[in-house]
Amino acid sequence: MANGTWRIARTRGGAHLPLIIVAALAVALILIGKAQSSLFDRARAHVMDWMKPALSATREPMVDFNRWVGSIGEIFAVYQENLKLKEEIGRLRQWHNTAISLDERVKRYQLLLHAVPDPVLSSVVARVIGRASHPFLQTLILDAGKENGVKPGEAVVDARGMIGRIFLTGERTSWVILLTDLNSRIPVTIEPGNAQAIMAGDNSPMPTIATFSQGTELKAGNQVVSSGDGDILPEGLPIGTIVTDGSGYRVALFADQTATQDVEILDFKLPPEHPPATSPDDLPVTAAGLPPASPPVAVSPPAAPVTAPKTKPAPAPRTQPAAPPPGNAPGNDVPDAGNE
Amino acid sequence: MERAGSFMGGKFLSSIIPVLCGVIGVLAANLPISFMGEWVPSPLYALMPVYFWCLVRPDLMSPAWAFLIGVLHDVLSGGPPGIWAASFVATYAVIDRQRDAFAGLSGLGAVLGFATAALIACATNYVIFDLYHWQLLSLAPYAKELAVTVLFYAPIAFVLGAVHRNLVGPQRSDL
Repeated sequence: MANGTWRIARTRGGAHLPLIIVAALAVALILIGKAQSSLFDRARAHVMDWMKPALSATREPMVDFNRWVGSIGEIFAVYQENLKLKEEIGRLRQWHNTAISLDERVKRYQLLLHAVPDPVLSSVVARVIGRASHPFLQTLILDAGKENGVKPGEAVVDARGMIGRIFLTGERTSWVILLTDLNSRIPVTIEPGNAQAIMAGDNSPMPTIATFSQGTELKAGNQVVSSGDGDILPEGLPIGTIVTDGSGYRVALFADQTATQDVEILDFKLPPEHPPATSPDDLPVTAAGLPPASPPVAVSPPAAPVTAPKTKPAPAPRTQPAAPPPGNAPGNDVPDAGNE
Repeated sequence: MERAGSFMGGKFLSSIIPVLCGVIGVLAANLPISFMGEWVPSPLYALMPVYFWCLVRPDLMSPAWAFLIGVLHDVLSGGPPGIWAASFVATYAVIDRQRDAFAGLSGLGAVLGFATAALIACATNYVIFDLYHWQLLSLAPYAKELAVTVLFYAPIAFVLGAVHRNLVGPQRSDL
């Protein structure tokens, strides 16, 4: 310990000047970071790419040690754990069968309704090589980056549910902002009832349900899934269940952030929906600025259907023929599949 | 044991060991393993070498090194840049001004001395973080981080002491 037994340096060696300089540098760094966060993020990604081998190398022995330490405690509870797992497997098998039959039913309904199929999800499996748990900051560092097709905003899930989102990518590494982080906010849907809400992290183990529609009643045990609003995250990713804490509602997450070592980064490829290009022929005559259709001839029954409302004539005559009524595009009668 | 500083190349090695310990501290604080569960923050391992060598060998742990260790901590933890760097520099400044008082402490007093330094680091970080986000945040996470950092100081200071005795040595002018 730094006590009197050490030979203490008495001379400060003109350290005051460097102190002032580095203090000024630190303040400048904070201000630059606030104003130009992307600049620092790029530097951070480069540093992480460079440090990836060191982090990966230190990870392996630590994981082994952690597993070994954990196994010592678990050995005493293995029998009880085994019984509990068997019971859980039986229950899950029932749910599995139910899920399969429901999945088939949903597919049939989709076929009947000509529903737009769910967007294709591809994924990248990555290992956790860094984990920061400091006040108001909970992040993971993964060993996959742009080289693996990882992009900011993508959802990160473990075997049980969603863990967070990618917020920064380097060439070979990427950062995850956890759902529990103070800066995390994602749109969610609460089932049953399809209630829309925003789930916000506050650095506690269970994020809060920050806002939801007036008059919505939530119950403990309700399921929370990603809503897909904003086209950032896929719809329906399992997140957790609602719990009450007296003052409000929180979400008990399915994913285990403390133990997760391998995660999946979901590439959500929802194609942007562009309306078909319009031409004057597709528009109602008034919108296209065309003269109204000529009135039907009385002597020739049956009369042609009137397609345009009677409005005042266009100010200038056009040479183009009157536009037919807008035809129904093949997909126009397809109900919205929920991809808002 | 022959001190590494007795050799020509060893002198360089002994001079970088305090900084290396700081870097290892940063890495340890951000490893993907949590022995205490995710909800207990990682101790500020990097502050321990900064405090220790700022007292006993300030020539090897200069303010610039404290700043760079803080920057590395900011980079690896994913937080806003410069906040931990500024906290470490502020702590260094206080230790530098009160070095005689801090260095005279032993036993439990030495732990309390470090607790004071850690309190300065956490308080500085809290104030800057509040200003950065322009909102008053809870003190509880900082209290947890401070507690766990002080708790871990005693065993780690023992290791740092052994490293200092065997690899770094007393002030360079005394060699």
